[in-house]
Amino acid sequence: MTDPAAMTDPAALAADLVGDRAGGWDLAGRLPDDVVRAFAAAGVLCPQVPARFGGLGLSSVDTGELTAHVGALCSSTRSLMTSQGMVAWAVSRLGSPEQHAEHLPRLAGGTTAAVAFSEAGAGSDLSGMAARIEVDGDKVVVSGAKVWVTGAAYADVVLVFGRYGDGAAAVLVPTSAAGVTVTRVPDPLGCRAAGHADVLLDEVRLPADHVLGGAGLPVEWLVTPVLTYGRLSVAWGCVGILRACLAATATHSRTRRQGGRPLAEHQLVAEHLAELHVAEQAATRLCEHASRCWDESTPELVSAAVLAKHHGAVAAARGASRAVQVMASAGARDGHPVARAHRDAKLMELIEGSNEISTLLLAERALAVWA
Amino acid sequence: MTTTAETRDADDVRRNLLEFLKQRAKAEVEPDFDLFAGGLVSSLFALELVVHLENAFGVTVGGEDLKIDNFRTVDAMTALVVRSGGARG
Ligand SMILES: Cc1cc2nc3c(=O)[nH]c(=O)nc-3n(C[C@H](O)[C@H](O)[C@H](O)COP(=O)(O)OP(=O)(O)OC[C@H]3O[C@@H](n4cnc5c(N)ncnc54)[C@H](O)[C@@H]3O)c2cc1C
Repeated sequence: MTDPAAMTDPAALAADLVGDRAGGWDLAGRLPDDVVRAFAAAGVLCPQVPARFGGLGLSSVDTGELTAHVGALCSSTRSLMTSQGMVAWAVSRLGSPEQHAEHLPRLAGGTTAAVAFSEAGAGSDLSGMAARIEVDGDKVVVSGAKVWVTGAAYADVVLVFGRYGDGAAAVLVPTSAAGVTVTRVPDPLGCRAAGHADVLLDEVRLPADHVLGGAGLPVEWLVTPVLTYGRLSVAWGCVGILRACLAATATHSRTRRQGGRPLAEHQLVAEHLAELHVAEQAATRLCEHASRCWDESTPELVSAAVLAKHHGAVAAARGASRAVQVMASAGARDGHPVARAHRDAKLMELIEGSNEISTLLLAERALAVWA
Repeated sequence: MTTTAETRDADDVRRNLLEFLKQRAKAEVEPDFDLFAGGLVSSLFALELVVHLENAFGVTVGGEDLKIDNFRTVDAMTALVVRSGGARG
């Protein structure tokens, strides 16, 4: 931790680092390296790492508000928070005390990280993963082809999930290791500067202690804690998207006049504003609930995170569409906050459990509680 | 929880877990019933079980303890809690 301002106010640091540049990053499809490095060095990408490991030590509720804040500024940067936070949480949850001591200070202090589950043949159904992690004496050999890994283009380390014996394991793979090839996904629809990349692992040999604990668990057991962090982070990011949409549309509809009055005084426009307000409030409350469950370690956190993510993503996608409607031509160019929101939010309906997969999980929950 | 690791014994843990299964999975099972073979443990429920163990008994279930056999039955989870210092044996 070198920057005392970030220690006291990571939100101010984020506002300062992003400024009004997110639109340009969206158009360029890149975040400047120095910005990514500054976020990582300040521990902002994984704010829940405890202070004893050099992290900001924020609660889930406070991390959530910070995530929404960054999400309102730039969903690409927020995506990096989601990925790095998942890796740090995987290390906390699955790692041994030695692995905590080794990796958490790095993740909170400048090392950038991404998380790789998906493959060409394994999207919604991760049991189809073909990547392999094989023990060879005091080494492991990692082989496979991961796709769409958020942040991989900026990452020093990728947490790779793969088959391990009869089950699965997660292994920390430095992108500098021999046999690792990172290739950017060209022209993503949204979160365009988030550095999505395919990661090819060609017999990458690593010390066996790069494999996190829990190795051999069934794949769903291993990924669920990590995805739960990701879901909550995406959910808060969607709150941010809705806040950015509210800020843009409220200002615009008060100042722009058509038909002799401000847009906001046309009732059909006012309805869009009201619905955006409802969407942001409902999404925020579900996120707060899930984060409180997280902070209190109640088992409900698992389904509460799915609920918050599902509602948040759907509400953000609908809300962003409304925002484009209200802004009309004023928001109809790439780079504009509502144009970004529109594309970014749509992708939130696909990741960390698509709308369909989340729906199935929530139906399971409904049956468990009400049947 | 009003009990502590000092006052709690394995039977308390077993009772608590059977009740949790009843509440959360609508399942009344014997302590040695194989929850996986019985299809009772979904991916979400697996994590809920881990969080419940940690929260109810003040233990940490990480790294090495994350083995499927530690969660296969109520008896196995009870043994894990005792080993982790969450209750007297
Ligand atoms: C912006 C972005 C960032 C990403 N970041 C990462 C990352 O960091 N790490 C990573 O590992 N992956 C990442 N991914 C990949 C992402 O996790 C997958 O895209 C996602 O899991 C869906 O898989 P798929 O694209 O293969 O779609 P498919 O699984 O092929 O699904 C296609 C459609 O079918 C539906 N469907 C599938 N199965 C069922 C079912 N059983 N019941 C009903 N409907 C079903 C889906 O909901 C979807 O609508 C990212 C993807 C995107 C777009």
